[in-house]
Amino acid sequence: MEKVLMLWENSGLYNLSVLQLIMIVVCLGLLYLAIAKKFEPLLLLPIGFAGILANVPEAGLALSAMEQAMYHFDANTMQAVANELGVALTATSDAGNKAILLDALKGVDDPAVRAKVSSLISAAGYSDGFLYTFYSLLVATGIAPLMIFLGVGAMTDFGPLLANPRTLFLGAAAQFGIFATVLGAVGLTALGVVDFSLGQAAAIGIIGGADGPTAIYVSSMLAPELLGAIAVAAYAYMALVPIVQPPIMRALTSEKERAIVMTQLRPVSKREKIIFPLAVLGLVALFLPAASPLLGMFCLGNLMRECGVVERLSDTAQNALINIVTIFLGLAVGSRLIADLFLTVETLGIMALGIVAFAIGTASGVIMAKIMNRLSKMPINPLIGAAGVSAVPMAARVANKVGLEANPQNFLLMHAMGPNVAGVIGSAVAAGVMIMYLG
Amino acid sequence: MQDTELLREGFNLMLLGMGFVFVFLTLLVIATTLMSLIIQRFFKPAETAATNLPGKSGSAATADGQQANIVAAITAAIQQHRKRR
Repeated sequence: MEKVLMLWENSGLYNLSVLQLIMIVVCLGLLYLAIAKKFEPLLLLPIGFAGILANVPEAGLALSAMEQAMYHFDANTMQAVANELGVALTATSDAGNKAILLDALKGVDDPAVRAKVSSLISAAGYSDGFLYTFYSLLVATGIAPLMIFLGVGAMTDFGPLLANPRTLFLGAAAQFGIFATVLGAVGLTALGVVDFSLGQAAAIGIIGGADGPTAIYVSSMLAPELLGAIAVAAYAYMALVPIVQPPIMRALTSEKERAIVMTQLRPVSKREKIIFPLAVLGLVALFLPAASPLLGMFCLGNLMRECGVVERLSDTAQNALINIVTIFLGLAVGSRLIADLFLTVETLGIMALGIVAFAIGTASGVIMAKIMNRLSKMPINPLIGAAGVSAVPMAARVANKVGLEANPQNFLLMHAMGPNVAGVIGSAVAAGVMIMYLG
Repeated sequence: MQDTELLREGFNLMLLGMGFVFVFLTLLVIATTLMSLIIQRFFKPAETAATNLPGKSGSAATADGQQANIVAAITAAIQQHRKRR
């Protein structure tokens, strides 16, 4: 009978907390969005599934060895840790003692003490969960987002941008969404609604860049505790681009402006395409070294594509490698969907601010395009400004579609690809500025 | 008091960030335009010579030409289709 009772006490059902149940339902919701609604399924599917795994009770797949030891709170092990840290477990409850230990752990500077504590914990039989290992190896180090950027670089054709370099300004203007949202997040904090630090506000703002890997990279550096919510918001809203953008684009432009036909793009020579990534790299190296990891990998991927002598590498970066990294990235991000990290008021704030960031980015891109259309001799259809938020190639397709509604003969897709890839560069630059300012 | 400090920091970040993004991309526009001008001026003959060479680049050029023809044909067909409707 005792054995049966023990089995029951170790079962998932017995240990399932309400919060974990809510998180599992949220993750099932993500799976539904991915499978039935096709919302960025390549990422939301692994993220949602890993989120369920992370919330399996007792398994502790997304916890580090230390967190697992804290969760189980074995009296002997914890007493040994407390002795090592030089604190006394004076509280009457486990929860109170846990708080004492966590406080003491935060204050540890001596690496020898740290090593001793972790060896005590591993001697007691606790080890890192596998999702936690994925997270710490691939996301906390920034490796996975950077490898995705390599693949994105290898998939990007800078031809339309090179044919009309001024569209870079549209990619710059659309980044206003990022910084306006930072201000919004700080404003919410000042009003006392939520409590974001400046680093967290910056990581939330980058959702407005509509660039998943950049958002993950920045939040892994500036606000790792919000990474799960930020990544989910970024990818979910990227999937919503075709719904969010068109009303804003229509509201800001007249029928006549939407029907503007743009002059055909000149052909771009191979030599220009080869030199362009090197030129970007040079400028990054000279002016913004903080953006060099992101833009460096991006340029490497693009150079592989354009130089034409490493077809095999380019092919791998575009297909096999990016697929593998996407699986790992999804698992690692999903591991951050733990109840205590995700079920907070902050998450609601992030979701709300993320959509505002998108809307402002779209609007400022369109307005910039309108201004450029007034000032330049070459006609510029304001719709392509909306493609300045990255979300390649979805935003460009949206611009094309809204343009076709106004004038069925007007194909804006190639024109919109220019600001679209400019948006990728722009959001990486914005990320670099934030990391430089706050890192 | 701390809140106003945070707001000011946020505002600074916005000004600095937007300013930097614009400066950087302006520099990139200038660099790109210059690069394209230089390449178009000095390497035009080399480019055409390269396309005349047999082998990979030559076949790529004809493939491009063929593609252009196909695209033109498809566009014409679409337009006819639209007119008929």
